[in-house]
Amino acid sequence: MKHLYSTLIITVFFFASCSQSKKAENSGDKKIKVGVTFLSMQNEFIVNISDEMSKKAEELGVELISVDAEHQPLKQIEQVESFIAQKVDAIIMNPCEVEASSPAVTKALAAKIPIINVNSATTTQPTAFVGSNDAESARIAMKFIADKLGGKGNVVMIHGFMGQAAQIQREQGAKEILKQYPDLKLIAHQTGEWDRAKSMDLMQNWIQSYGTKINAVFAQNDEMGLGALKALQDAGLKDKVIVVSIDAITDALQAVKKGSLDATVFQNAKQQGAGAIETAVKIVKGQPYEKELMIPFQLVTKENIGQFIK
Amino acid sequence: MYLINRLRKYGIFVVFIIISLILSFISPQFLTVSNWTIIITQASINALLAFGVTFVIITGGIDLSLGSMVAVTGVTAAMLAHPDTFPVALPIFAGLLTGLLMGIFNGFIITKSKIAPFIVTLGTMTIGRGLALILSKGRPVSNLSDSFNFIGGGDVFGIPFPIIVLIIVFIICSLILKKTLLGRYIYAIGGNEQASRASGINVNQVKMAVYSISGLLAGLAGVLLTSRITTGQPNAGAGFELDAIAAAVIGGTSTSGGTGTMTGTLVGVLLIGVINNGLDLLNVTSYYQQVVMGIIIIGAVVLDSWNQKSNS
Repeated sequence: MKHLYSTLIITVFFFASCSQSKKAENSGDKKIKVGVTFLSMQNEFIVNISDEMSKKAEELGVELISVDAEHQPLKQIEQVESFIAQKVDAIIMNPCEVEASSPAVTKALAAKIPIINVNSATTTQPTAFVGSNDAESARIAMKFIADKLGGKGNVVMIHGFMGQAAQIQREQGAKEILKQYPDLKLIAHQTGEWDRAKSMDLMQNWIQSYGTKINAVFAQNDEMGLGALKALQDAGLKDKVIVVSIDAITDALQAVKKGSLDATVFQNAKQQGAGAIETAVKIVKGQPYEKELMIPFQLVTKENIGQFIK
Repeated sequence: MYLINRLRKYGIFVVFIIISLILSFISPQFLTVSNWTIIITQASINALLAFGVTFVIITGGIDLSLGSMVAVTGVTAAMLAHPDTFPVALPIFAGLLTGLLMGIFNGFIITKSKIAPFIVTLGTMTIGRGLALILSKGRPVSNLSDSFNFIGGGDVFGIPFPIIVLIIVFIICSLILKKTLLGRYIYAIGGNEQASRASGINVNQVKMAVYSISGLLAGLAGVLLTSRITTGQPNAGAGFELDAIAAAVIGGTSTSGGTGTMTGTLVGVLLIGVINNGLDLLNVTSYYQQVVMGIIIIGAVVLDSWNQKSNS
């Protein structure tokens, strides 16, 4: 066993010295190895980020090790620990949770491996952050509703999973805008757990209790927005109610094109995924990089839908 | 005394009536035809799963793979339901067949390996979720034909199609349980497996049958859900098995096997539906909704054990 360890250590030193001497001029010889852990591969938006990362990694000749934390912060921490043990050059983390994923950042930094947070934040500051400000997306969505209603009317809001960073920030952003329009009233809000079927049920129940009093729906993601939309269409109320959601997934873009969904907010998976890989490469190569790379959101309506659908 | 005995026997039904009455007093929208149409439509998917799992629980087993089966069958159906590809019967058939096969797989492993159903179906639950993600590549499968979307969203003479499915399936399941030999064997196995085996009942065959029925109904639920939300979602159905088991238990099916009725399960399903709907109408935060639901589940089981003690 001891023999094995010493061989291992020697090998590691050998490779380490090799890579150090060559790193500066010729990165082609030794591939940069990046470990990525995702919040959940059951989420279309995250899958899109992952796809874009793979594309960029191939383009830049980076070796990617991608793993799925399945919404569990503990699992994510363990994955980062295993990346550290594998001595990757950089780690990209798409955090499960603001607080609970923070130890992963601390551990990577302690091991002197750069860690980049993508899409959402942790309390502990990573080497770099690539993503967007969730509160901003909700501000854009709610502002659209306020403009459409002339600053006056009744709004219902469908939350994501309560307590998640995206839910908290999107709620906060929406409420900031509501405060600016005192005649815009939030008459009901409830969680749809990011889920289409659940939000459809919720909207049906709201239609029963509020009926035509509802002027607009703000859903914190597209899945839920599309569920609410279906309920409104079935009740024959869609013409009277504005529905706006966030993420710009394929289904939502199609619905905007058809004119059934009034607007969605485009979060740029491509730039987030590619940006994270580029930042990782820059850090590993010792080039200057942006500590906070903010990718802007864009409002998608029927007018500009052409830019978003191929 | 007679009244009290009656009350005990129909305990959960009384609870259901009382809660409905309270809700109709505090929310004027509650007791309307349109609201009840919505409650029953929303409850239909849970109902199908609950009917299936009632058979399983009466034999003394459990099926935790229901939610994952909903996802796999839903995604399978959706992939075959794009407009202008196949006739609408094919995705429906494929969804049902996938559910049936998964049910048969559960039954096969449980009867051949003698591993506890809890463990086996826990395994297939994970396998199923993975399969759904593999098939769909982690993305919702959309753009389904109108005829397919009719199953979950359309209506016949003003009655939503899911309600019609619910009624038909309820009648068939009740008949199987009450009037057929299979039904009697299901109760017998749950009551005493050793004795049933000794009296010549093919226990393995009966178990295969109940898990297959459970799978088939999960397939039907998957098709219905997919059609209702007009998209096949790989992460759909998470936690559905727990709602279904809760409905069966609230309706008086004993988790130790041997007792339970389809009518009881139906009342359990409707009670859950009514509470969800009522608390939404009253705009109660979902945190409290979960607490209320938990209290009712425990209350129902307490009522049930109380009932059994007084009977014996």
